[in-house]
Amino acid sequence: MSALDAPKAALAGLTRPEGWVLGVSVAFVLFLLAALLTGALGPTYFLFLVGLAGMYALLSFGLNAQWGFTGLINFSVAAFFGIGAYGSALMTASGSPIAGGFNPLVGLVVALVVAFALALLIGIPTLRLRADYLAIASLGLAEVVRLIVLNERWLTNGSAGVRGIPGFFEGWPVLSTFPEAMPGLRLEVVPGSPILLETAFWQASLNVLLVLGFAGATFFVLRRAHRSPWGRVLRTIRSDEDLARALGKNTYSFKMQSFVLGSLIMALAGVFYTHLNLYVGPGDLDPITTFYAWVAVILGGSGSNRGALFGGIVIVTIREGTRFLNDVALPIDPAPLRLLLIGVVIVAVMRYRPQGILPPQRELIWPSAVDGGGAPETPDSGVRERKGGGGDE
Amino acid sequence: MSDAAAENVVLRVDDLQKSFGGLTATDHATFDVERGTITGLIGPNGAGKSTIFNLISGFYEPDGGTVEVNGTDVTGMEPYEVAERGLVRTFQTPRKLEGMTVREAMLVGPRNQPGESFVRLFTSPGAVAESESENLADAERILAEFEIDHLAEQPATDISGGQMKLVELARAMLAEPEVLLLDEPVAGVNPTLAKKLKSQIRRLNDRGTTFLLIEHDMEFVMDLADPIVVLDQGTVLTEGTPHSVRNDQRVIDAYLGGGA
Repeated sequence: MSALDAPKAALAGLTRPEGWVLGVSVAFVLFLLAALLTGALGPTYFLFLVGLAGMYALLSFGLNAQWGFTGLINFSVAAFFGIGAYGSALMTASGSPIAGGFNPLVGLVVALVVAFALALLIGIPTLRLRADYLAIASLGLAEVVRLIVLNERWLTNGSAGVRGIPGFFEGWPVLSTFPEAMPGLRLEVVPGSPILLETAFWQASLNVLLVLGFAGATFFVLRRAHRSPWGRVLRTIRSDEDLARALGKNTYSFKMQSFVLGSLIMALAGVFYTHLNLYVGPGDLDPITTFYAWVAVILGGSGSNRGALFGGIVIVTIREGTRFLNDVALPIDPAPLRLLLIGVVIVAVMRYRPQGILPPQRELIWPSAVDGGGAPETPDSGVRERKGGGGDE
Repeated sequence: MSDAAAENVVLRVDDLQKSFGGLTATDHATFDVERGTITGLIGPNGAGKSTIFNLISGFYEPDGGTVEVNGTDVTGMEPYEVAERGLVRTFQTPRKLEGMTVREAMLVGPRNQPGESFVRLFTSPGAVAESESENLADAERILAEFEIDHLAEQPATDISGGQMKLVELARAMLAEPEVLLLDEPVAGVNPTLAKKLKSQIRRLNDRGTTFLLIEHDMEFVMDLADPIVVLDQGTVLTEGTPHSVRNDQRVIDAYLGGGA
C-alpha cells in the first residue's frame, strides 16, 4: 500500500471531496472514541453498530454492482437480503420449521444458491427487455417473497419469525468457544466511567470480524471487476446498450452476470444479519431496506465502490444516530424524523452534487496494464492517474 | 452465381423484408457488397436506409429474406453474433459513454478480450493484463493515426460531434471488422473534420476494410463511394457507379418526390 509509505503525498493527491470525506470520517471516529471512553456508548453496542454498517455496506455493494455498474434497476434488494437471512436461518436455527441445526457454513451455501436461482429466475425473462421491465418485475418480486415468508408457515414460521439461530462461528474450532474463553476485562480510561468487556463484547467482535471478512472480500472482488475490461463493458451497457451490442458484446450475458453478482452480495448481507441479530422475521423484508440501499448508493456516487461503502456507513449513522435524538428532548418520535433527515440529505446531495459524494473515477483501466501494478488512486504515478483521480470537475 | 464471385461478396442482402404494422419499411431489398469496396447506400428520407442497417446488423429481425456475412447466414442473429462474424456498425447519432475518457471508451472496441470474462479476472490476471496492455497500445496507435491522440484524456462526453464521429470510427477499427457499416458518418460534422473522415475511410479501405455507408451529403458520398446502391420506398431502385446513378432519371425522380 503506497499510501502508507508516503502519507504526505497521498494526502496531497486527494481531491476536494475525498479530503472532505476523510476529514469528516476522522472527526466522526474521534467522536465515537470519545463516546466509548466516557462510557456514553457501550462497547458491545458499538460493535453491533459496526456490524450493521458492514451489513449496509454489503447491501450497497450489491446494488452498486447492479445499478452503479450496469444501470440495472433492482427494487428487490430487501428480497435478496431476506433470502440470504431466511436461507441461513432456516438451515441453522434450532427453531427452524424445516431442516435446521446445520452448520452455518451450510446455511451460507444454501442461502447463496437460493439467491442465485432467484436472480436467474427474475433475470431470464426481464434482462432481454428494456431496463424498465426489470424494475417492475423486481418490485413485484420483493412483495412476493415477503408475502411467501409471511404466509407459508410450514416453511418460515410466518409472522413468528425464526428463533434459536446460532452465531456464525458455532461449531468451529477455537472460534465457537472464543467469547466464553475470553476473560472479562474492566478498563477505566476516563476515571469514574469503567468500560466492561465481557462475553457479549467478544461475541460481537467475532461478528465484526465476520462482516469485515465479507465486506473486505466483496470490496476486493468488486474493485478488481470494476476497473477490468469486464467492468468497462458494464459501464458501456449502462451508458448505451446498443453500442455495446454493435461492438460484439453479449449484453444479455453481461447484464445477467452483473445482476447475479449483486444479488449474491445482498444475500451475503442477509446471511450476516441472521447471525448478528439471531432472529429473523418477515419485518426484515420490508421495502425500507431496499430504500436504504438505494439512498446509500446514490449518496455515495453510483458506480463507485468506496462511495457505496461511505453511503452504507452514513445510512447506519442516520438510522442509529436518530435514536439518541430522543435524549435531546425532541417532542416527536425519531423514526419519522429519520426518514425526513434522509430525505433532506438526498435533496441536498442531488442539488449540490448530483454525481454523489465519491463518484467513480473517470478512467478505469486494468492497473498493471498501465504502469505495472500501481493502483490508479495513488496520485504519484503519472498524469493519467491524476486525471482519473476525482472526476468531479 | 459462380463460386469465385460469391467469394468476393462479403455482405449479401437477399430479398429482405420488414414492416412495422402496416408500414413496409423494407420491401424485398436485394444487393451485394463486394470485398474491398466502399459501397454507398443512398435514398431520400424514409427510403428505409437505417432500417436496412438495423436488419443487417441484427438489431431488427427481418420478416423475410436473408443476410449473409462472408457466406454465413446471419439472419435473425443477435447483434453481437453478427459482430463476431466481422460486421461492425456505427450509429447515426454518436453514442456517448458517460464517465469515461476517450482512451477508455476506445478500449471497449476490441472483441473477445480475456478480461471480459469475470472468472478470468481472478484465475488469470496475467493474461488480462497482457491483453489490456496490447489493446491500450493499439488504441493509442489508432488515436494517433486518426490525429486525435490529444483527446485521449478528455471525457468522452465533452468532445465535439465531429470528434465523436472520429472516435467512433477509430473504436470500430479496434474491433477489427471486415465490413464496417457507417450510418451518416459526416452528418453534422464541420467540413474540415468531414474531409479528415473521408481520408481516414479511404486509408482504412486501402488497408482492406470494406465499407457500407449511408450518407445524405451527396458530394461526400459520390466522391468516396463506388458502387452506390439507391434505395427508395424500401426497395433497391438501382445500383451502379456514382456517374450512372447521378444521371439515372429514376433516382432524380425519387429525390424530387415524383417517383414510383
